[in-house]
Amino acid sequence: MGLEMFFSSTGLVVKGVLLLLIVFSVVSWAIIMFKFFQIQKAFSESGRFMDFFWKTKRFDTIASQVDRFGSSPLTALFNEGYSELKQLMEAESGKPDHGGLSTDLGGVANVTRALRRATNLEVNRLEKYTTFLATTGSTSPFIGLFGTVWGIMVAFEGIGRTGSASLAVVAPGIAEALIATAVGLVAAIPAVMAYNHFQHKIRVLVKEMDSFSTEFLNIVQRNIAGK
Amino acid sequence: MYQLVARKDTGLGVTTALSVTFHVAAFAFLVWWQQLMPDPGPVQTTYYVDVVNLPVADPRAGSPTESGNELKPAPPAPTPPAMAVPAAPSKTVSGKKLTTSPVTESAAFQERMAKLEGKVDAQRQTAAFEELRKKVAARGKVGMPKGTGTEAGSDYTAYLHSRLKDAFRDTISYQTQSPYVMVRITIDGNGRIIRTRIEKSTGDKAFELSVARAITLAEQAIVPPPSRTVYEGAFVFKPQGVTHK
Repeated sequence: MGLEMFFSSTGLVVKGVLLLLIVFSVVSWAIIMFKFFQIQKAFSESGRFMDFFWKTKRFDTIASQVDRFGSSPLTALFNEGYSELKQLMEAESGKPDHGGLSTDLGGVANVTRALRRATNLEVNRLEKYTTFLATTGSTSPFIGLFGTVWGIMVAFEGIGRTGSASLAVVAPGIAEALIATAVGLVAAIPAVMAYNHFQHKIRVLVKEMDSFSTEFLNIVQRNIAGK
Repeated sequence: MYQLVARKDTGLGVTTALSVTFHVAAFAFLVWWQQLMPDPGPVQTTYYVDVVNLPVADPRAGSPTESGNELKPAPPAPTPPAMAVPAAPSKTVSGKKLTTSPVTESAAFQERMAKLEGKVDAQRQTAAFEELRKKVAARGKVGMPKGTGTEAGSDYTAYLHSRLKDAFRDTISYQTQSPYVMVRITIDGNGRIIRTRIEKSTGDKAFELSVARAITLAEQAIVPPPSRTVYEGAFVFKPQGVTHK
């Protein structure tokens, strides 16, 4: 029996289950491809941005060219940290007893908070859609199993109606029902694998962001201490 | 005061289109792969046989492969009685033996022999035709009613039909007035029913049950299809004309 015959000969509930699983699979693969390109680009541009960051000593120069590395989450951190720093500097320069950025006023703490907020936003951005992968990975086998159970129920009902329990009567119904579990697993396995892979990559990126935040704050602190 | 806004990514549109394409390609590949896989065996032409209203008057009941049912070999042609070669004529004139020329004698003899052989062949042919005529006359009407003699048939289908009909006589029962069930049966090369599917039914459960029982009963007596090929056929079951034993 052909594959297309399998789909056409199943019942309405099993058809619905198959359709749902196919939608899950299509969306999962769309997310997998999207996240793959996004994270890949984030890694490559983060590396390039860090090189540029350490080569260029001036924040204003970096800020003017930061758009070249738009896909890197580190650029978001830099932008936020630099904006906060600039605002604080402007606020301090407007005061009559202007003596530079002071830790007493909570300037560095403000920058730290800005960096943390930016980190959180970037993590959210990187983790966007991955929950769907987790959901697909955990629920698709069960949805498929439901389709199989339903299909077997219908098959047994048919067996009871015809009164024949020979393999010729039982086997086709069960084979048709089992396809739901197979499709469920086909949807779930790549989703789980991709979810674990992306989680690992995101964890690495989060560590890079933390390191960058620390470096950024160190530079700010050194500048304040030097003034 | 400024508001920190998360950066926006491109949507899933492009990757969704890619994913749909990927899934369609995967499905097409699976279908194509399945077509590449060798079949378990060539499936014979499907014959629709009405179990009750028989399209074949003499379906040659019995197994075509079972011992004892083989077609009897044609009787050997009657051997003509051995022809005695006539002795060559000899004349004795006044104590002297007259002998003809050996060349003339041989030619005449050959001619006579050819004539005799021709006569014997004609007699043999006439006898064979006569025998055939008698056989046909003794058999009576055969073949499909209103058949032109050009319709395709199958001995194995007729055999199955006979087995099903016999089994159905033992199991038939129905609740509605004119029940009808069409069952497609697939038999593998070993003579086992590997698939039974009700294709059409008037919904009479008792009748469907009796058909299923008939198939199970008939399965015990079915022999493998000729050349061990997979056989598939649809059989129509109706109660008309079948008496319950």
